[in-house]
Amino acid sequence: MSLFEMCQAIEQSTISSIVRESAFPYVEGAHVLALSLSIGTVMWFDLRLLGATMRTRSVVEVFEDVKPWMFAGFVVMFSTGALLFAAHATKAYSNNFFRAKLALLILAGVNAAVYHFTIDRNRSAWGKSPFPPAAARLAGLVSLLLWFSVIAVGRLVAYSL
Amino acid sequence: MLQPGVEWLGSTGLGQWLGQSTDRIAWLFVIHLVGLTLLMGPTLVLAIRLLGVGFRSRQLAELTRDTALFRTGGLVLMILSGSLIFTGGAVSYFEGMWFRRKMTLLIVALLFNFTFFRKVTNAEEGRYSPLVSRLVGVLTLFLWFSVAVAGRAIAFS
Repeated sequence: MSLFEMCQAIEQSTISSIVRESAFPYVEGAHVLALSLSIGTVMWFDLRLLGATMRTRSVVEVFEDVKPWMFAGFVVMFSTGALLFAAHATKAYSNNFFRAKLALLILAGVNAAVYHFTIDRNRSAWGKSPFPPAAARLAGLVSLLLWFSVIAVGRLVAYSL
Repeated sequence: MLQPGVEWLGSTGLGQWLGQSTDRIAWLFVIHLVGLTLLMGPTLVLAIRLLGVGFRSRQLAELTRDTALFRTGGLVLMILSGSLIFTGGAVSYFEGMWFRRKMTLLIVALLFNFTFFRKVTNAEEGRYSPLVSRLVGVLTLFLWFSVAVAGRAIAFS
């Protein structure tokens, strides 16, 4: 089965037609409002890595504060996002903004993984410093840029479907 | 009362130029959403702290200072991009029921923000009882999310 055929199958499901025909405004509303919980909280961690805010707190403390809200936010984002995709799967498949959004999400994931498995490993050496080392600041900056680009292409998907 | 002003705004060069192109409006919506994230993310953090369910290791006034720049920046971006979006379709927005609800809720949310919210979030620890803090936290969430929901409803009505 090709990817496009999978999208056709998704679009023929019951859940897809429910979202398309009645739930769409509510699901999309939840997707937009949860921006505050997901990207709105992850940005504090990124800004801390950049040394731009909360400098008196260690990186770990900021992460621990943000973690539960950030994860809850991304759970809402991914589940509502999946429903929105299901509603218009074939149109999304051929939409360039949607493809760019998936690529940016993958890059954000790769950036987080690289940070976690390399720079974060010797955090004990720099976690309390107000200005983390260049590699950590770069990871924070890349994360911020990627997430705000995800917002931008996400809004443009809604305009071009 | 406001009708002639709205009609004039829609007929200005800027209003016409913005209204002609869905691309221009789409990019303004991008800025509007970036502003939403910058404003609502930190506001949510403060509300969570007011409710006493998270960020408890931080002093409230300290969190308020840390987030002030981003909340102000987000609000400015939202108001600027929102005003331009409105200018691009002034008459039809002005007639819409959800647009009017959104503006009413926005005024209430702003008044609340610059009075009760500002006072309680800048106070030293223990100045206000947990009950007052929680009430302000609940109202903050309720008011700002009502504005956002009404905003979303404009697009679907």
